[in-house]
This record gives sequence, structure tokens and C-alpha cells, in this order.
Amino acid sequence: MLKKAYDWIDERLNVTPLWRDVADHEVPAHVNPAVKMSAFVYCFGGLTFLVITTQILSGMFLAMYYTPDINNAWYSVKYIDDQVLLGQVVRGMHFWGASLVIVMMFLHMLRVFFTGAYKAPRELNWVVGVLIFFVVLAFGFTGYLLPWDQKAYWATAVGSQIAGSIPWIGPYIQTLLLGSHTVGALTLTRFFAIHVFFLPAALLVLLALHFIMIRAQHIAGPL
Amino acid sequence: MAAGGERIPGTPRYRHHQLRNPGTEPFLPNFLLKEWIVGAVFLLAFILWVWFNPVDLGPRANPDDTSFIPVPDWYFLFLYQILKYYPGQYIVFGTVLVPLVATLLLLFTPWLDVSKTRHPYKRPLATGAMVLTTFLVIWLTNEAAVQHRAEVAAASGQGQLSAGLVSLPKIPASQIHLTATDMPGYQIFEQNCSGCHGKSAEGGFGPPIYAIGKYWDENKLKSFITQGSPPKMPPKGGLSSESDVEKVAQWLAQQKGS
Ligand code: HEC
Ligand code: HEM
Repeated sequence: MLKKAYDWIDERLNVTPLWRDVADHEVPAHVNPAVKMSAFVYCFGGLTFLVITTQILSGMFLAMYYTPDINNAWYSVKYIDDQVLLGQVVRGMHFWGASLVIVMMFLHMLRVFFTGAYKAPRELNWVVGVLIFFVVLAFGFTGYLLPWDQKAYWATAVGSQIAGSIPWIGPYIQTLLLGSHTVGALTLTRFFAIHVFFLPAALLVLLALHFIMIRAQHIAGPL
Repeated sequence: MAAGGERIPGTPRYRHHQLRNPGTEPFLPNFLLKEWIVGAVFLLAFILWVWFNPVDLGPRANPDDTSFIPVPDWYFLFLYQILKYYPGQYIVFGTVLVPLVATLLLLFTPWLDVSKTRHPYKRPLATGAMVLTTFLVIWLTNEAAVQHRAEVAAASGQGQLSAGLVSLPKIPASQIHLTATDMPGYQIFEQNCSGCHGKSAEGGFGPPIYAIGKYWDENKLKSFITQGSPPKMPPKGGLSSESDVEKVAQWLAQQKGS
């Protein structure tokens, strides 16, 4: 039955080559922990992606309750914590996941660095990786403000002051970040939009590039 | 192109029994299944961690309360710490120069380390630089965290307690295990001191003292309690007899917050 449905679609749309491109390839022995335990370092990229996926999912559920305005933001987070079924857990996933992404991504970067996998022909993928790194840091910076508690408010206040102290362009960066001259209503809506629309879009594009390049170039050979 | 055709030129459809290199295996389904098992274990550990470490929500943002000591999330601490080493007019080193140089070095790594060899031991400069950077980042992060904790402790010491007092962290009463509760001092504590210091000495109107014995010995406790800290804490903590003070001091000296 399933096979029939698949064949029906495949006849019309020729989807088989699509997924074969993605999935039909060999995994070399030197990256397979089942062959050699020490190859677990090659899992870090995949695990980073797994955590990114849970971040996207938990973030989508948080967005069902979160309210990005300065009067209600804190109360909406409190509501998620105290009233929403499993809200505490979903918020916990998103909170701890944010740190875990950073840790796994850093480990992945170290693996790529120490195995020299950034060397020709993979230079561009390294550059894409560094860009991903900064996008993820930006996720952290903007997400930190959203609960609108004291910690959030003052971290952002100081962060923007530091940005503002940069010579020449500092004040412009600060205005761009805050939407005004202090952390306030415009800052919160801005950080929210950046956190849930701009950055995910950038991240997904970069990750697509990252994965396409890995498939096109294959993973680097054994040392 | 026929259904089932191959898009990657020169790469025939993979067949498990046609293995050329021993040790390789098909990505789908063999490898992916194993990877999912690893992923599932990883996720389980993650969920357990999340479950037992609930996130708390601080007090609502108050732009007027400038006494709050700000701190960024931990993965920005190393940057924050760098700033402290370039005070005043040299701050641009911390805000622009160091981060910019580090970013450029990272971005252009493939063009800086151009030798063909990939083994980390065979390119000591690159490997050494990265090891050093990693240690530096970890050290800076830790340094910033330690300094922040000290700042918070100092501020709470000045804000609520008189100088010279021990400032124990506030923890839930359920996590406190008072010891030697068969000593006579414990009953005196329950009757006379717990109103201010809490049933489990977790603090209330008075500061937490559940582990005061770690910092003050019996003599120090006795002299402090005898004097009290008027007007906040009455002399002898409201007790009437000298010997009761001695007993309660003896008991408190045992509370070392195991
Ligand atoms: C009226 C409330 C009150 C009562 C009753 C009271 N205390 Fe206190 N106690 C305080 C306050 C307030 C402080 C903090 C004093 C300050 O900041 O100067 C304090 C401080 C202390 C400290 C030092 C804490 C530190 O962190 O260094 C000890 C020890 C102590 N009390 C023991 C006792 C004992 C033992 C009793 C009972 C015999 C008692 N207190 C009864 C209010 C009380
Ligand atoms: C969200 C963050 C990231 C995800 C999800 C991700 C994912 C992956 C995955 C799944 C691989 C396959 C090999 C492996 O798992 O080790 C890979 C390879 C690679 N990654 Fe990443 N990555 C991320 C960030 C980065 C960063 C920050 C860098 C470098 C600065 C980087 C550079 C590379 C390079 C150069 C390769 C090719 C390695 C090789 O061919 O051996 N990636 N990435």
C-alpha cells in the first residue's frame, strides 16, 4: 500500500533521485564510531544539528504563549512556567538547549580544526561555519532579553552600552540595536523579531549551504 | 531520467554486499539508525537534565533599580572579561581590536594554515594556537564568573547585613539538614530564634544561619548573640539567661551545612 502510493508519486514527480542524493552514500570507516570508538568526535556536528532542531521546536511552542511587549512579556513567561502544561519543561529545554548548542558547536569546531578539515577544498565550508557561529551567538544575545527580568534587562543595557562605546560607529550600532536610546518597548519587539524571524532564516540558509557543501565535497578523509 | 536513476555522475547506487572498502557502510539505513540511537540517548540525558534543573525567572525588569549587578549569559563572559583589562581610554582594545583580530584569524584560518598536512601534530603552530585560545577562553570565562559572584556577595553583604557578618546564600528550607537536634540548644533556637531566622534557620527577617558553624566558632557566636545587633536583633537574641545563650551557641557551632 505504502509502496504503491510511493510509486504513484514517483512516476509523476521522479522523487527517487532527490532522496538518493541526500541519503544514498557510504559512510567511511574513519568517521564511524561503531568501527572505531574515537570517531565519536565526528558526531558533534550531527548532535549540534539535533539540538538546533529541538531549539526550533521548543521555540515554536514557547511562541504560542510568549508576548513580546514590555508590560506582558514577564507575565507571559511566568504563565508558561506556572500554568502551562509542561511549560516549565519546554522553557527549560529552550534555556539549557541554548547553552548546549554553544558547547556542541564549539566541540564540533575544535574537531574540524584539529583534523585540519578546513583545508582545501573545504575552505568555504569553514567560512560558512564561522558565520553560523556568529548567528548562534546572536540568537543567545537576543534571546536573553525576552523574559524581561532584571537579569535580561541589565545584561542588554550593558551590552548596548559597550556597543555604543565603539568609536565613530558605536552610537549608530546602539540605536540600531535598541531602536531608541535606552532599552525599552522598541528594543523588546526588535529583539523578538530578530530572534524568531531574521536569525532562523539566516541560520537555515547557512545550514543548507553547510550540508550541501558536505555532500558535494564528502567528509574529509582519514588523517 | 528514469525513476531510481542516479544523479551523482560516477557514483552508482550503493549496495551493501558490493562493499569495496571494508568498514564503510551505507548512510541509509545502517548508519542513520545507529546515529539515531546515539541521538536518542543524548536527548534522554538532555531531558533528564532539564527536568531536574528548572529554570527560574528573576524579578521583573525594573529600569529604576540601578543597583542590580548586570552579567551576560555565560558564553559571553570571556568577552566581558577582556573588557576589564582595558579600562578607560584603552577600552577600544577590548571592544574592537581583540574581537576583530580574533574573528579575522578564525575566518581566514584556511588561508593562514596552508600546508597540505592535516595531522594536528604535524602543524604545531596552528594546533598550539587553538589549544592556547581554548584554555584562555575557559580561563577568562571562569575568572569572570568568580568575580561576578564575589561582587554579588559583597553587594548583598553591604545592602542588608552589617559589616563583619557571614552572608550565607538563601536556599530552600527543604534542602537544609540541621544536625545535632537532640542538643538543648536546638529547642532554645526553635522557641526563641526561629521566628526571625526561620524554622530550619533558612532565614526570614533575620539572615540565614543554617551553616553558621562553618564560619564562626562557639565563642564568636556567644559574643555576637550576647551583644545582638540592635535594633535589628535584640541583645541575647531575646533570651534572658546567659546559660541559654551558651547552649544555643554550642548548637549553632555544630551547624556546618553538611
Ligand atoms: C527580632 C528578630 C531576631 C531574633 C529574635 C533573633 N535574631 Fe539573630 N539576627 C536578626 C537579624 C536582623 C540579624 C542581622 C543583623 C544585622 O544585619 O546587623 C541577625 C543576625 C544573627 C546572626 C549572625 C548571622 C550572620 O549571617 O552572620 C546570628 C548568629 C544570630 N542572629 C543568631 C541568633 C540566635 C541564636 C537567636 C536566638 C537566641 C537570634 N539570632 C534571634 C534577627 C533576629
Ligand atoms: C549550528 C551549527 C553547526 C551544525 C549543525 C553543523 C553540522 C555539521 C555536520 C553534521 C557536519 C558533518 C561532519 C560532522 O558531523 O562532524 C559538519 C561538517 C563541517 N563543519 Fe559544521 N556544523 C555547525 C557549525 C560549524 C562551525 C561553527 C564550523 C567552523 C567554524 C563548521 C565547520 C565545518 C566543516 C569545515 C565541516 C566539514 C568537515 C569535514 O569534511 O571533515 N561547522 N558540520
